[in-house]
Amino acid sequence: MTLIKNSEIVQDRWSVLEEGQALQADHNIIDLAYWNANKSELIANKTSLGLLVQGDESCDQFTDDLQHFELIAIHFPTFVDGRGYSLAKTLREKYSYTQEIRAVGDVLPDQALYLTRVGFDALEFSTKEAGLLALEKLNEFSVFYQTAIN
Amino acid sequence: MYLYNEFDQTLVNERVEQFRDQTTRFLNGDLTEEQFRPLRLMNGLYIQTHAPMLRVNIPYGLLSSKQLRMLAHIAHKYDKNYGHFTTRQNIQYNWPALEQVPNILADLASVQMHAIQSSGNCIRNTTSDPLAGVCKDEIEDPRPYCEIIRQWSTLHPEFSYLPRKFKIAVSGSPKDRAATQVHDIGLHVKKDGDGQIGFEVLVGGGLGRTPVIGQTIAPFIAEKDLLSYLEAILRTYNRFGRRDNKYKARIKILVRETGLETFKEQVEAEWASIRDGQLTLTDDNIQRVKNYFTPLNYETANDEALEQHLANSGAFRQWFKQNTKEHKQPGYRVAFVSLKSPNCPPGDITNVQMEQVANMADQFSFGQIRTTHDQNLALTDVKSADLYALWQQLTEQDLATANIGTITDMICCPGLDFCSLANASSIDIAQGITDRFTDSAIDTGNISLKMSGCMNGCGHHSIGEIGILGVDKKGEQWYQLTLGGSDSHQSKLGDRLGKAIAKDDVVDAIDDIVQVYKTNRTGDEDFANTLQRIGLQPFKDKVYDAH
Ligand code: HEM
Ligand code: SF4
Repeated sequence: MTLIKNSEIVQDRWSVLEEGQALQADHNIIDLAYWNANKSELIANKTSLGLLVQGDESCDQFTDDLQHFELIAIHFPTFVDGRGYSLAKTLREKYSYTQEIRAVGDVLPDQALYLTRVGFDALEFSTKEAGLLALEKLNEFSVFYQTAIN
Repeated sequence: MYLYNEFDQTLVNERVEQFRDQTTRFLNGDLTEEQFRPLRLMNGLYIQTHAPMLRVNIPYGLLSSKQLRMLAHIAHKYDKNYGHFTTRQNIQYNWPALEQVPNILADLASVQMHAIQSSGNCIRNTTSDPLAGVCKDEIEDPRPYCEIIRQWSTLHPEFSYLPRKFKIAVSGSPKDRAATQVHDIGLHVKKDGDGQIGFEVLVGGGLGRTPVIGQTIAPFIAEKDLLSYLEAILRTYNRFGRRDNKYKARIKILVRETGLETFKEQVEAEWASIRDGQLTLTDDNIQRVKNYFTPLNYETANDEALEQHLANSGAFRQWFKQNTKEHKQPGYRVAFVSLKSPNCPPGDITNVQMEQVANMADQFSFGQIRTTHDQNLALTDVKSADLYALWQQLTEQDLATANIGTITDMICCPGLDFCSLANASSIDIAQGITDRFTDSAIDTGNISLKMSGCMNGCGHHSIGEIGILGVDKKGEQWYQLTLGGSDSHQSKLGDRLGKAIAKDDVVDAIDDIVQVYKTNRTGDEDFANTLQRIGLQPFKDKVYDAH
């Protein structure tokens, strides 16, 4: 995996917790089901938490808990499913979420710019090549009609 | 008309380079067909039966003569010397080579045009009344608002991967000439008690497989709130619209399944959180765009010369009566350029004709041309004294068929000849109808005939007074007829006449329908009223007894 954050390739400190796996020392990304099942324990634990959500998940399910997360990872089942864009925009605009929002799943380098315009500050690609291309694509446009979140 | 500033120009130039890179990567095998598809669609590029098809936007149907000359140049250089005007006021080229498309886009950008979002699951070109700014019944010129929507929707980062395509139409007159009721969002300019401009907003209309007439979601949205309200609808649709089945993905299905009231609550909740934010339009924002659409420099003119010409020539009189319309400015007329000559498929135009129309626009109509929903062109600001000279020039180019609004001014999709989705051909049926009715069209009166080669409905058959739909029966081409559809301010879907009709009998069946109308009409009663008065039965009897 290649991670781009704020227009640079960076090392990923986070690990995604697979089902049944124990919490890592720090920086765990968990899904909504895991969070809901282990909330009090996780809060007591005080490790850094990230939440993995699907683009179609309604934000009401986790917006009350946003303060517990240093990262929200939004998963794209396919690159043509645009729900994640609206979710990211809503988290930034309506819920004033200021920490990392990461795009994961089926994401094309060609989409990097639009993703950052709606509020994603981190993009995960499956290859280094795709990551490098995405960096180029971030500069494809110098003008926009819409104001951006970032 | 709107002119690009440096900002607009940079944006379309950068878009050309982006697409050039994507095309190169696709041709090199670095992008799969699956990945390239949505990217090329967002630049208007389909892959069709013979070749790619490129759709170019004509924002709200307004062209300068310079732009039309460029469209002619493209038809000549990259295509087979013709183009096809669509029912959404755009132009399509049927034969460009994929490798050349980036060059075509660069040529377009040089005259402030583009193909951005002319297809794909994104917000399409905003359409409007072809008579905007010149018709007498207008509340307010809708074009500045169309331009504001164009800018907001162009390369919109959040709404470029919607469940399905999204079309917006704006009408500035009580008489709807923009088919707003069959758009995903239809906007009607309104004025409130204080004379403030706003919009009645309709949502969930659409044609295609499941034709639906749009419903009012908000009776009055103030102009300053236009974009935030649109954004609220689009966000609600983007989040909740179905993605599991592409035939159920349009907003019309979402509105139907959710119910208008609940959908409205969702939109209003969304709107409440963004309403007074960055999208709020200031008076300055609106005025800046309106300044591009100030009234043209009309001269004081009268109709004396026109009266003379009308008295002298019967053929001119006929054309005048059928193909021109009143103008808000005394001494001026709107002249339609018929692209429905008996000698070519509906909506097609050659590069030479395009160049000539551009010259005529320069000579007679302030250098501007409009495209209409009926796949014709219009020169909207012609001094009535010039109409005779214009008519002569149009006649030379075979663009003066006096048939606007008649049965031979039909809408017809490309059908089997060009389209890989077609069940049946449309162009040869259109030809048959034209041959049958050319001599009697004017006498028959105005009838809108619309034809699609399959249920996707590109030819708008469901809102034709006579609708023809191509269906496939065990590999043979059959046609389903409907009567009584309408795309006026009271849009209505046509009713099925009966079982489908074999290809060889279609023209006779249309003839039967026309005969029943002519026999039963009283005075100059129009088709819709006669049909409403006598019902479907007499038409059924005649058509099905005969065959
Ligand atoms: C030749 C290639 C073409 C193909 C493959 C094609 C395909 C389609 C499809 C699949 C739909 C249904 C979309 C939906 O329901 O979501 C559609 C709708 C439509 N098409 Fe085409 N089309 C073609 C050409 C044209 C042309 C030449 C015109 C204009 C004359 C046109 C105008 C439209 C319109 C107005 C609709 C209806 C929009 C609505 O549902 O509201 N298409 N087309
Ligand atoms: S109506 Fe059907 S046949 Fe006609 S252009 Fe559209 S998809 Fe093709």
